Amino acid sequence: MPDPQSPLAQASIDLFNGALLISTLIVLGVGGLLAYMMVRYRARSGAGEPTPDFGNHKLEIAWTIAPAILLTVIAVFTFPALRAQEVDTSKAAGGGTPDLIVIGHQWWWEIRYPQANVVTANELHLPTGRQLLVQLEGADVIHSLWIPQLAPKLDNVPGHTNWMWLRADRAGTYQGACAEYCGTQHAWMLIRAVAQAPADFDAWLRQQGAPAAAVPAGAAAQHGAQIFAQRTCISCHAIAGTAARAVVGPNLTHFASRQILAAGVLENNAANVTRWLRNPQSVKPGNLMPNVRLSDDELRDLTAYMESLR
Amino acid sequence: MSAIPLVPEPTAALPRLRSNEGLLSWVATVDHKQIGILYLITTIFFLLVGGLEAELMRIQLAQPRNTFLSPEAYNQLFTMHGTTMIFLVVMPILIGFGNYLVPLMIGARDVAFPRLNALSYWLLLFSGLLLYYSFIAGGAPDAGWFAYTPLSEKPYSTTPGLDYYAVGLLASGIGSVAAAINLIVTILTLRAPGMSLRRVPLFVWMVLFNSLLIVLALPSLNASLVMLLIDRQLNAHFFDALHGGQPLLWQHFFWSFGHPEVYIMVLPAFGMISEILPVFSRKPIYGYGFVAGSTIGIVVLSLLVYGHHMFASGLGFTLDLAFGLASMLIAVPTGVKIFNWLATVWGGAIRFTTAMCFALSFLFLFTMGGVTGVMFAIVPIDKELEDSYFVVAHMHYVLFGGTFFAVIAAFYYWFPKMSGRMLSERIGKINFWLMFIGFNLTFFIQHFLGWAGMPRRIYTYDNNPGWDWMNLVSTIGAVILAVGVLVFIVNVFVSLRRGAPAGDNPWNAWTLEWATTSPPPLYNFDQVPPVRSRRPLWDLAHPEQPDYQPPAGQGGHNQ
Amino acid sequence: MIQAEQQLGARAGATPASDEAGREQLDRFAAMDPHKMGMVLFILSESVFFTLLILAYLLYRAAPAVANGPNAKTVLDIGLTAIFSACLFASSGTIWLADRSLARGRDGLFRFWLAATIGLGGIFIFGQGQEYYRLLTHNVTVSQNVFGTTFFTLTGFHGLHVIVGLIALLILLGLALAGQFKGGQHRAAVETIALYWHFVDAVWVVVFSVIYIGAWLS
Ligand code: HEA
Ligand code: HEA
Ligand code: HEC
Ligand code: CUA
Ligand SMILES: [Cu+2]
Repeated sequence: MPDPQSPLAQASIDLFNGALLISTLIVLGVGGLLAYMMVRYRARSGAGEPTPDFGNHKLEIAWTIAPAILLTVIAVFTFPALRAQEVDTSKAAGGGTPDLIVIGHQWWWEIRYPQANVVTANELHLPTGRQLLVQLEGADVIHSLWIPQLAPKLDNVPGHTNWMWLRADRAGTYQGACAEYCGTQHAWMLIRAVAQAPADFDAWLRQQGAPAAAVPAGAAAQHGAQIFAQRTCISCHAIAGTAARAVVGPNLTHFASRQILAAGVLENNAANVTRWLRNPQSVKPGNLMPNVRLSDDELRDLTAYMESLR
Repeated sequence: MSAIPLVPEPTAALPRLRSNEGLLSWVATVDHKQIGILYLITTIFFLLVGGLEAELMRIQLAQPRNTFLSPEAYNQLFTMHGTTMIFLVVMPILIGFGNYLVPLMIGARDVAFPRLNALSYWLLLFSGLLLYYSFIAGGAPDAGWFAYTPLSEKPYSTTPGLDYYAVGLLASGIGSVAAAINLIVTILTLRAPGMSLRRVPLFVWMVLFNSLLIVLALPSLNASLVMLLIDRQLNAHFFDALHGGQPLLWQHFFWSFGHPEVYIMVLPAFGMISEILPVFSRKPIYGYGFVAGSTIGIVVLSLLVYGHHMFASGLGFTLDLAFGLASMLIAVPTGVKIFNWLATVWGGAIRFTTAMCFALSFLFLFTMGGVTGVMFAIVPIDKELEDSYFVVAHMHYVLFGGTFFAVIAAFYYWFPKMSGRMLSERIGKINFWLMFIGFNLTFFIQHFLGWAGMPRRIYTYDNNPGWDWMNLVSTIGAVILAVGVLVFIVNVFVSLRRGAPAGDNPWNAWTLEWATTSPPPLYNFDQVPPVRSRRPLWDLAHPEQPDYQPPAGQGGHNQ
Repeated sequence: MIQAEQQLGARAGATPASDEAGREQLDRFAAMDPHKMGMVLFILSESVFFTLLILAYLLYRAAPAVANGPNAKTVLDIGLTAIFSACLFASSGTIWLADRSLARGRDGLFRFWLAATIGLGGIFIFGQGQEYYRLLTHNVTVSQNVFGTTFFTLTGFHGLHVIVGLIALLILLGLALAGQFKGGQHRAAVETIALYWHFVDAVWVVVFSVIYIGAWLS
């Protein structure tokens, strides 16, 4: 997380650096004292018992107060950073209408832009320099959205809405993960945040809002679309502009425009999509998409269809 | 009452297994020393099991995208590793030492309720067996040691693992409360004449307050587990969001136990350190009253800070702030202890026995773990680092570098009393260096992994910059650490056979347990020496300068 | 069992007789009865346990799922339970009378009040039993909604504690009929159980207020 990209993350890092400095000094102090004593007060043969010393009230008071003062100082610095993280939904821009809804599923992220009616998965886009209000939900168990460079983490709790600020000041791609243990594939529940200049972001949002072509270009892709409708795919996935409307798995409308596949197990390219469709369970053991057992031909055409979903 | 002895009256302090009725006398014993030793043997066994689980995890993590373990296996392993270490190793090993030492240290013949004591131990063993039986019964628990709902509820955890978890921990929880009540009553009512509460050895003092904390905190766990079990078995809805329950309620209930628990796992270790450092520095403990009094502060505070495990769950500004401040505050009474221990060593004549090496490194490693704890108490930092390897580093520094180093020190220190033989110092030094180096190699680097964004509880990871070699270093450290632990086990076995005879008081120590033979006779003491200060044996050995007659200018501190 | 435990404790715990006096002079704690102290600590831990169950009930009292489904106001018979509760509360008085009779050496009276306590506790359990029966047959169960969940858990665990108390009291009565407590002997055992019984009663004061009176007021 060495490179924070938002004021909130920056505030945490500044606090961390300060605390790290103090901690290092304390550890070195205690360690140094120990080292010194180990040399200086090593028992020497022949010497008698050292004189007993039962304590000293002034010293006790000193080393009670000194850490207390230090901690008070730290607390004072903590206060504004903590305050800034707080989301008061009544006062937040738009009166609590989120810019973004992030829903944790076992083991992928559903990402909604309610104002633009866009639904995507595992890849979150945001315009640079704007503070976004994010609403967090958990679909099944507790997850936790953690994009270290952009914001403090916060949990996605079923039946309990959380709100957080998200902001990136520089364009770029930032790694994130699910931080709360959520079962078998918690390890592969990564998320990728793509910060873009506002104009680029708007273009992206517009493109994501468009439905997929009802009939994709190319014979293979067309055949793929048929397979998609005939095999069970359609009972779990949605592709806007087609009959597929299920919400069990990630929305695939613009699947091929995403960088990662299945929440980060693989990079998203044609070869990997084929690998995934051949047997999701061997790529990401335990995930909730079954092996549909497709023939090589079906695989080829279905991949072509998936790749057409730009 | 019938006169037929169902339980053979033990005739020796430590009956040999192969002797007449030897096994039966161990199984049926109600003697606090034998029960204490049973506790220690059992917990060391579970340490090996829990350690083996950790080693398997480390092998899996040694390189990115490793396929040594399946995700299901890994998740069961880390859950069982944490659960084992906390509930079957650290907590009971401290209770075991308390069992063995407290009556000896206060000049009593046994604990107040010897049979209840035996029951506590058997409940522990039963709980361990139940937890491990789950592996055969269809799958071990796999929701982490704090089993967050709804992941731990039936719909998301269909194996019976979590039922075993709940029932197993209930058994150990009930046993722990019983043991704690027993120890409190023992300490309060069975002290030898002269042993006022201001004169008890600090280990006894820590056990007293630790037990009080157990009595106050464990019922929270028991209640949470009961609710979880009712949810799972009777389809109730305590934590079920679909039917109006609240998943976060579990977190509040669990951590209102779970945070006090971490102090339950360290207070007796503080006591051990407070006994060992003085003896090997040849000085009385510095600021007895402050070391003792700060414990009360820790106990009170520990009941008020549990929310610091839930900062990321969205407690809101006010609670975040309150829990954060309270958590920071705990550094004050803990710091008082550290400083007094340092002052105890200051100006002393240090004897570098293995016990002392472990005790001194405790001071260093615990401070390391403590300051990272304070970092978490600074809420914005916690929200960055929670559930990352930084937490794993923190908890192993306080639990392993802290508590466990103190426990090993305690083994080297009290083993002679328990067995009549010294542990080998030569093997001991090897043991120490392997563990010290291995420990730091394993866990220091995990701070950086957490900082680099590695979440905890992941069975594998992508090849992000630096993650591969840092994890490899950690794994290598873990192997060295395991060898260190095995050397310790070897030392115990070798020394039981060939160790030098200990004599009554090999370390020239000052508390009552050293006034009797090693191992102590069945009823502990032929005669309890007079207790007129905190160091009765010093008073006996130094009639010219006893503690109860302080030299001029030092009045008051030492009684 | 208490007695055996005591004998064992006496054998194992004691220093030679001469020390006993010195020990008890140490401080207030050292002079206390170990069994009573143990019971007080046990009660302390049980209080925490019940506190959590009560908190869970309170938390869900106003949940939407409870407002629409069965809840305390709609399904509980407050008047009837108040009568049974009165029995339980009265039993706290009778056990106190039993203990006082024992202290005064009135063995017969002691047995009478002990039996009365058991009787009153029994009536309470009977009352709870019939209430459970009525609820369960009207399809109010632990799995019905969070009211059912928290109500049955809280009152169920309380009932369990009453039953355990009744068993302990029955053992005391048996021992008393066998002549164990002649002349105020082993009074500590009676006092220890009495402490527990008062606690069970006190818990019901809270539970009754929270569930029944709370529903009546709302
Ligand atoms: C022995 C057990 C033990 C001990 C003693 C501690 C001690 C402390 N712990 Fe730790 N903790 C754990 C075991 C322990 N912890 C475990 C197991 C977890 C993880 C649970 C899980 O999620 O699985 C955890 C997690 C944990 C968290 C949650 C992290 C997260 O998940 O986000 C926090 C947050 O505040 C925390 C704080 C503290 C603090 C403030 C202390 C303080 O008590 C430390 C005080 C000590 C010192 C500070 C050092 C000595 C003091 C001085 C030398 C004085 C000067 C110092 C200063 C002024 C700073 N701990
Ligand atoms: C006192 C408590 C304690 C102790 C001593 C340890 C000891 C160790 N721990 Fe543990 N650890 C925890 C308490 C403890 N741990 C807790 C509470 C968790 C959190 C769990 C959770 O998230 O739910 C955790 C989690 C945890 C993780 C994080 C897992 C994850 O989040 O994915 C890791 C990873 O490296 C780890 C490693 C180790 C290692 C290498 C050791 C080593 O020190 C082990 C040393 C080795 C031995 C002691 C055994 C040596 C012997 C053999 C190998 C041979 C065995 C032979 C026979 C059985 C005959 N631990
Ligand atoms: C039972 C439900 C189900 C069925 C049937 C199903 N899927 Fe999935 N699918 C999922 C789930 C759940 C995921 C998310 C897996 C994960 O990342 O853990 C997923 C993920 C995917 C992804 C990766 C999405 C991304 O954004 O990374 C693709 C592509 C996909 N499915 C295509 C298909 C196709 C094609 C079919 C039919 C052959 C199909 N799915 C059938 C549930 C299903
Ligand atoms: Cu989702 Cu971890
Ligand atoms: Cu804590």
